[in-house]
Amino acid sequence: MIRQFFIVCLVLFPFIGLFRASPDFQASSQETMLQTIGLIFVLALVNVWLAFTLAWWLMWTESRLKPWVEWLVFLPLFIPLLASLFGMYLVFAEVGLIGSRIGVGLALLMATLPYSIRLAYNGMYVIGRPMLEQSLGLPPFKRILYVLIPLFSGSIRTIILFTTVILLSQFALVQLIGAGLVSTVTTDFYQTYAGNDRSRALTNTWMLILLPLILYIGLGGLSTWFVRRLKGRLS
Amino acid sequence: MLSASVLLTIAVSLLSVVSLLFLAQGARGTDWMTLWMDETWRDSLGITLYVVLASTCMSLLIGTWLARTVSFRQWPFVSRVLRLPMFVPHIAAAYLFLILFSGQSGGGWFDANEPHYVTVILTYVWKEVPFVFLMMGVTYEQVNQGYRDMARTLQLSPVQQFRHAELPFLIKPLLDTFWILTAFISFAYEVPSLLGVTYPKLLGVLAYDRLSTGLYLESSEPYAVALVWTVFVTGGVVVSYMATHRLRRRIERGVRR
Repeated sequence: MIRQFFIVCLVLFPFIGLFRASPDFQASSQETMLQTIGLIFVLALVNVWLAFTLAWWLMWTESRLKPWVEWLVFLPLFIPLLASLFGMYLVFAEVGLIGSRIGVGLALLMATLPYSIRLAYNGMYVIGRPMLEQSLGLPPFKRILYVLIPLFSGSIRTIILFTTVILLSQFALVQLIGAGLVSTVTTDFYQTYAGNDRSRALTNTWMLILLPLILYIGLGGLSTWFVRRLKGRLS
Repeated sequence: MLSASVLLTIAVSLLSVVSLLFLAQGARGTDWMTLWMDETWRDSLGITLYVVLASTCMSLLIGTWLARTVSFRQWPFVSRVLRLPMFVPHIAAAYLFLILFSGQSGGGWFDANEPHYVTVILTYVWKEVPFVFLMMGVTYEQVNQGYRDMARTLQLSPVQQFRHAELPFLIKPLLDTFWILTAFISFAYEVPSLLGVTYPKLLGVLAYDRLSTGLYLESSEPYAVALVWTVFVTGGVVVSYMATHRLRRRIERGVRR
């Protein structure tokens, strides 16, 4: 019991800082916040879709290319993000994507997709082929709605959480690829972190923590409601 | 539809490889000898290796121990609390540690911005332990309890029990996690730029500052450093996976010879 208490205290200790000054929630720009939420929504959707379709393909394919594809999609996990970002900066400069939202979105997708694929892949292998084989007889839409979404709701939530947290952690990526023309809450907040206004910086920290937390809890509720409705329809 | 999505995912992953080719192109014209003799870069490399090794090793040790303990003792509440730092973006975690250790609140031991990068290491450990816990927790859930029971029946010491009944199964996730963390921490910007000092800077911070500062805009050095570091990390990944290939294959097949 004492050991558990000690571990919990160590994990929670850094959060003490949050209560050192009163946050002022009027301070942040609504436009940037909406823009960031939109980016999270699009990026999370694309991540979930691409990660699960690839994991599904890897699970069933007999192609000789499978080990190469696995190697290729997991390789970015082992490449320092900022280093590949320097290269991407040169690629995007060639094709005119620097300073555009598409460029920033693409760079963020490249940063988040390897993690999402890994999570989807692990989730699928934990469930296993025999269980999923039973759903193969269903048409694709029904298979996704009645089998895959309820089975992988946990993995989907984790992918969305990872995508959100990685997106909200990126200052250098957005600043470099966005060339100062595209902003997220993180690029806005970074100035206050580097400055002396502790109250504004704390408000921003609250925002950065609350956004993924609310999203995660909301998705949990949505998933429970969806499974309950589904059970009702099936029984 | 499925093939189109798979092709799109492969294209996005290929972008990563293409970006490395462009990185190599950007590094062209670098005087490698001058780069190696530059004291700023050398000091930066030294401090980066220290921060990366300290943060990664501590995260792996603590995270694995927690995954083991929580799994064997069935602590669901601790397991839930341990996931909380995952909700905190790195930049916010850095600020939490900055206010925790700035001024008098550091307990007088160290300040937030000090040359030994203690707060940077602590931030990374706090943020990455839950990730290691997640990776190792899955492995501990899947490991056959029979191996541990057998080791106990044979009256092996606790260390030997761990070595023979658990460690072989941890090698792959430990290697994966080690290199993911190394790649992530070693060339990052946000945390060390907030909690670090002006000299020596970590490699990622120094490279980004030089790339984005007007004074160095034409310089190929940041690209060269990013390229060398990427080659170093991927080289380490390849060598370590080749060295453990036979052992991992034997474990995957479930045969111990």
